[in-house]
Amino acid sequence: MESVRDMLRDADPLRHEPPRLEEERDGIRRAVLAAASEAPSRSSMRWRINRTPAALLAAGAVSVLSVAVLGSKIWSGGSATLHAAAVRFEMRLADTAFSPGLREARIALTGGVVYLHQEIIVTNDDISDSQVIDGERPSRFGVAVTLNAAGAEKMRRATARHVGELIAMLIDGEVITAPRLRSPIGASAVLSCDCTKAEAERIANGMRIR
Amino acid sequence: MSGLPIADILPVALPDPSADRLSTLFDAHYERLYRLARRLVPTTDAAGDLVQDTFLKAARAVASIPIGSTDEEAWLVRVLINLRRDEWRKTAVRRRHQEEARRSTRVCSDQEAVFVARATVWRALDRLTPRRRAVLVMHELEGLTIPAIASLLGVSGITVRWHLSKGRGDLARVLRSHGGESHGKR
Repeated sequence: MESVRDMLRDADPLRHEPPRLEEERDGIRRAVLAAASEAPSRSSMRWRINRTPAALLAAGAVSVLSVAVLGSKIWSGGSATLHAAAVRFEMRLADTAFSPGLREARIALTGGVVYLHQEIIVTNDDISDSQVIDGERPSRFGVAVTLNAAGAEKMRRATARHVGELIAMLIDGEVITAPRLRSPIGASAVLSCDCTKAEAERIANGMRIR
Repeated sequence: MSGLPIADILPVALPDPSADRLSTLFDAHYERLYRLARRLVPTTDAAGDLVQDTFLKAARAVASIPIGSTDEEAWLVRVLINLRRDEWRKTAVRRRHQEEARRSTRVCSDQEAVFVARATVWRALDRLTPRRRAVLVMHELEGLTIPAIASLLGVSGITVRWHLSKGRGDLARVLRSHGGESHGKR
């Protein structure tokens, strides 16, 4: 008769799996320390500008998410958080109802309220390219974001489990849009910010600064 | 001249005690947390994510993490288990569907049978609440004593014993309910 301890030991994945790769550990370490430099302290901006680029950059398979967003208040409204050079980009899951651990945030373009998950899915470090693209209205523009392989994998993993829920796109901590996920996202997303060309260029260029 | 403090125009990052603390915490506790996380979740990727989320939470609350190796370890372990609990609750329904799908798969060889037996045990653990599972893992696999687990989790020894007892019983019951193809005699 096998005891619970024996059964657990026999089934213990740590006995059968190879040790974790150093690079995986280092990747987590890097992400954590980068987050520390962005933590609530007011000194975060200069840290962000000079952060060391992530090591993993590779081409990823592309799937496209089109995010439709209305409004144009934030960019013409002179958001004080936009930095002249760097912009901080994040994507997080979000809910429409509050639950413990979620943070309330207002969607800059629509004024609606969402509740952000604590976990950041991707950041500037996960971007391999960002480009200005035509918007849905004449003379208005959006930003197409392409994630590197690591970012695309994180995005796939996170969004596959949350189809039907919201995903928030943040610039410098402000929620620009929070569309509902209709399918898992891969390597590409479009920030349809309804920006002027200059604003879209500033965001696209600033996103690539790590 | 510009009126800006020097710190705002320096081209390099300044030393930050919070980052130093976090770096020390990471180096001291990553391995331990990963091992615990791996025994609480189904895959290596999920374990990596869980550990990362734990340290990200720490990054946002460095000042509130108690000083001292034992206390900070306890803080991190509790955060990890709480994060796992949140995820566990969210995925409860999907887990049940996956469970049913897996049960319908057939065993084709001895090697697969061994694999399925291990997976069955590990999936049975998925049914336990993360705290109960953590207690079981810490006691049965990590070899921690009941007082040590109580201290880590901030609960009484009686609570730990209760979780252990219930955990063993729950595990046996779940394994029995799987039909006993792999563990029928246990």
